[in-house]
Amino acid sequence: MDPVTLSVMAGALAGIAEEMGVVLVRSSYSSNIKERRDCSTALFDARGRMVAQAEHIPVHLGAMPEAVAAVIDRNPEPGDVFIVNDPFTGGTHLPDITLVSAIAGSDEEVIAYGVTRAHHSDIGGKSSGSMPADSRSIFEEGLIIPPVRLVCRGEPVADVLELVLANVRTPAVRRGDLKAQLAANRVAEIRLNELLDRPDAPPAPIIFDEVISYAERLTRGLLGELPDGVAEAASELEGDGVTDADIPIRVRVEISADQLRVDFAGTSGPVAGNVNCPVPVTRSACFFALRVLAGAGIPANAGAYAPLDVLIPEPSLLAAPRPSAVVAGNVETSQRIADTVLAALAQLVDFLPAQGQGTMNNVIIGGEDWTYYETIGGGQGATGAGPGPSGVHVGMTNTLNTPIEAFELEYPMRVERYELRYGSGGDGRHEGGDGIERSIRVLAPASASLLTDRRRHAPAGMAGGLPGGVGQNLLNGEPVPPKAALSLAAGDVLTVRTPGGGGWGQA
Amino acid sequence: MTAGARLGVDVGGTFTDLVLLRDGQLVTAKVPSTPADQSEGVLSAVQVAGVSDVVAFAHGMTVATNALLERRGARTALVTTEGFRDLLEIGRQNRPSLYDLSMGRPRQLVPRELRFCVRERMGPGGVIEPLDEQSLHEVVAALRSAGVEAVAVCLLFGFLHPAHERRVGEAIRAALPSVHVSLSSAVLPEVREYERCSTVTADAYLGPKLGAYLANLGDRAVAAGLPEPLIMQSSGGVTELRRAANLASACVLSGPAGGVVGAAYAGRESGYADLLSFDMGGTSTDVAPIVGGVCPVTTGAEVAGVPIRHPMVDVHTVSAGGGSIAARDAGGALRVGPESAGAVPGPAAYGRGGDRATVTDANLYLGRLEDGARLGSGEVQLSRAYAERALEQLGDELHLTAQETALGVIRVANAEMARALRVVSVERGLDPRRFALAAFGGAGAMHACALAEELGIATILVPEAGGVLSALGLAISDLRQDLVQALPAPLTDAISERVEEGFGELEARARASLEGPALRLERQADLRYRHQAFELTVAADDVSALASNFHAAHQQRYGYATPEQPVELVSLRMVATLPVDKPVLDTPPADSHAPAKSRRVHTGAAWETVPVHVRANMGAGSRVTGPSVIELAGATAWVAPGWSGEIDSAGALVLTCRES
Repeated sequence: MDPVTLSVMAGALAGIAEEMGVVLVRSSYSSNIKERRDCSTALFDARGRMVAQAEHIPVHLGAMPEAVAAVIDRNPEPGDVFIVNDPFTGGTHLPDITLVSAIAGSDEEVIAYGVTRAHHSDIGGKSSGSMPADSRSIFEEGLIIPPVRLVCRGEPVADVLELVLANVRTPAVRRGDLKAQLAANRVAEIRLNELLDRPDAPPAPIIFDEVISYAERLTRGLLGELPDGVAEAASELEGDGVTDADIPIRVRVEISADQLRVDFAGTSGPVAGNVNCPVPVTRSACFFALRVLAGAGIPANAGAYAPLDVLIPEPSLLAAPRPSAVVAGNVETSQRIADTVLAALAQLVDFLPAQGQGTMNNVIIGGEDWTYYETIGGGQGATGAGPGPSGVHVGMTNTLNTPIEAFELEYPMRVERYELRYGSGGDGRHEGGDGIERSIRVLAPASASLLTDRRRHAPAGMAGGLPGGVGQNLLNGEPVPPKAALSLAAGDVLTVRTPGGGGWGQA
Repeated sequence: MTAGARLGVDVGGTFTDLVLLRDGQLVTAKVPSTPADQSEGVLSAVQVAGVSDVVAFAHGMTVATNALLERRGARTALVTTEGFRDLLEIGRQNRPSLYDLSMGRPRQLVPRELRFCVRERMGPGGVIEPLDEQSLHEVVAALRSAGVEAVAVCLLFGFLHPAHERRVGEAIRAALPSVHVSLSSAVLPEVREYERCSTVTADAYLGPKLGAYLANLGDRAVAAGLPEPLIMQSSGGVTELRRAANLASACVLSGPAGGVVGAAYAGRESGYADLLSFDMGGTSTDVAPIVGGVCPVTTGAEVAGVPIRHPMVDVHTVSAGGGSIAARDAGGALRVGPESAGAVPGPAAYGRGGDRATVTDANLYLGRLEDGARLGSGEVQLSRAYAERALEQLGDELHLTAQETALGVIRVANAEMARALRVVSVERGLDPRRFALAAFGGAGAMHACALAEELGIATILVPEAGGVLSALGLAISDLRQDLVQALPAPLTDAISERVEEGFGELEARARASLEGPALRLERQADLRYRHQAFELTVAADDVSALASNFHAAHQQRYGYATPEQPVELVSLRMVATLPVDKPVLDTPPADSHAPAKSRRVHTGAAWETVPVHVRANMGAGSRVTGPSVIELAGATAWVAPGWSGEIDSAGALVLTCRES
């Protein structure tokens, strides 16, 4: 393909994914999608290769091919839309619902797939918000949806929708969010066909092949400029919600020519609690590390990830077998995987930052007919270029907070404190960012789940910088473990202090 | 016809533009801007144009925008509720770049040592903890010793229950009378503490600087025999000088707003109410929708990394223009921008040391720009030989000829521009095929035909005043005031009394600030479905129709509605406008039929000898048929094969596609 058409087509495909994202964010109901943007949109080719993605948060990065592959196994026909959330058949954790639409070209063959993934704020299970801190199997975490048709050859399958809605706590909101996902998938179909109808457009398979190999060339080019080498790193998760013991994560990275290999041999086996990861989550965390390494400007498609080999022992913490509990794998373990891979890579290249807070500080509080889910920012690691920002999301997430005023208008709760923990960032030539303290008083009886980490192992500094301060969780001033399921009485105050980022360079 | 003349003066980065409208005729002037004191340039433009008899003088400027961009506002403190000291720094907790971890946040307007807290707490229902006077005294003392020039006050739920904020403001003003004080409940009484806090902080930060500038300008204007200037706000309407000085945060997009208003006016004069405005300059391109003759406003935008939640014309800016550099990337694709050659060294064709091909070089090589043409005041001369050398060099890397490269650069640049136009049309639920494309800026009319074809647009409008459209917009701007009042409540029949009451209060405030028999009051409401986190603003003239208006707006914007879902009210809005007489633009017919020149131009398919018209020699009724070129003042139009048109009575070149 000539360099002009290549540029125009790569831009057009990215534009389709972005427009899908705009439609999804704008038209969804729940703040989780709309304000926090916990969602992603993508276009795949008929062979199930990703050709464009608009990711709003990194944890969805490249994590959708398994979902599309699972759909392709079920012989989709044009006009079909599949719904799936099963972590062991293409999903990540149950709240992330993926819709895959089979897109027909002019000759009624499936030429591509439009895909949207969004974190729904409830999908049933033992606790409202579907993020139980103490789940021990997938069955406790909510409704499992294998790839099934939500729309069949253009006709909505009402039975499936009804089955889903009957299993969730907030059916009207779910219905709205699913409608938003369908609307975004329709955009993919319309725009792709418009693109292919243009006189200067080559046939779809040629466009897809060319744009994928373009991203692969770019990525390999950047990897090729890095020094070859091997490095190892070790880290740990602070408990799994069942026991408080550390869970080891081990990684060995190897850069050789234009290839990156990541091997997790030595990592813990599957655990009883819910910090297990399905394979797509583990791969996604590795993609994040590669993306940080390779820099921006590379189209997000299958080619960008082709130079990456990920070896995961099976079964393990990072390749969990059915029916493991996995809900926290996506939100906590993924952070630690990315941190550990980057810690190993930092021994080979000299431009990576100190570690950030390394947790999402998941807080889920629910009462009789309401559910609140929030993740809390903390310190980002400092870099050679400057200090780390304070009170931000790091690593695998980048969701927005819920405004306090919106929160208090909606829930029987009050925020008593929400400010930075000055001095919690690690010292150094450049200081790490500070963590946050957020205190919430519940005004009615409620249950709460905390899924947090870095409460005893601090985020590391870089190049002589000091580590950031660890976080802390408190109930009425008394410490509670990093992962905890709590029962709250009216008037109780839950306080989360998030970690600071590591410093860079000697002070 | 109006008795006196209307004057608009717009200060841009490089030039200060003036438009004087008298009896439907335009007088224009362009002088260099004077960044140290923008009023210098304003007065010198007035002198150059020999202005007299002015009944209205409107002004657009970049004083506020620049102070924000350069972080050169007042030394500003922030007072918040105890426990919420860092609202501004935490923001929404998101980081600026997902993968570039070395990218920090934009610099804070208020450093940590200037953030203070008072002990108090309001909640949804009112006082939770009374304001502690002792803590207020301590804060006032701390403000005094910190030597601040401005203070922003943003307390939780101040938008709904402003008593504590007012008391804090009163105490600070009494103790520190020379300090500028901005209260969130006065500047932006809307829910969501971060955006409100960010807006009120920007207001305090910009207030002293903008106030001083405007006071000086006002004095100088009056001394020069002009009326006191009206100031363009981000909303696309002008306001009295003292109001602008008191609400600096509402003027951060003063500059771009004028251009959109000018485009809307020029469009109306030519009979087109639905336009996509396309202003392509050297380094950036502004696009905006105009619907039914008016510029839609959004409820805010981020300017220089600072969210500002005032109504703003819906302008979308992309950093691509004539000076965007074309290059082969490491993956072998031809990319255009975001790097720009700027004015210095500029495109290769300027011969000022730039050796990388730009969009301008491609246009020159293809004959759409004239070899040897002089730009600006004549100090730069375009050289096709330099352009060709740069394109050849790039072509060698791409294995393309210079000609293929030039055509490729145009195609890639057009794809980028089309994407920007889609953002302001398709992504807003507007079908571009129903719109005319209003092309202006130095390069707008050169790319308009290709863009129109790509978007399915059948009509292109090139306004006569394309080079000074912002100043034209100023000259005809309506006075406007935007008022808002929070009213968070379920939308039920029971609420209609409170809605009426709220609108009554807003109306009283509007009438207190704008007077005139022609005063137009537009009622609007921000609504959402319960559990939604974003609102849609809909017309609220008929309170009983609010819900159905909302469902319809939701359907239009998002493609679906759910009438069975409960709807919530969030805020009431009132847009008060005092329309000014809009002169009718009147262009005389051409008095001579000066023969067109001709030159070789590549049409996209082949090289052809095409006529080159000079706009100055054309008048109402003059016709053109593509392929041809029209040389305008400060711009060039490329009429592609298949397009033709004429100059209309308003002086605009109106092109239509023969095939459609």
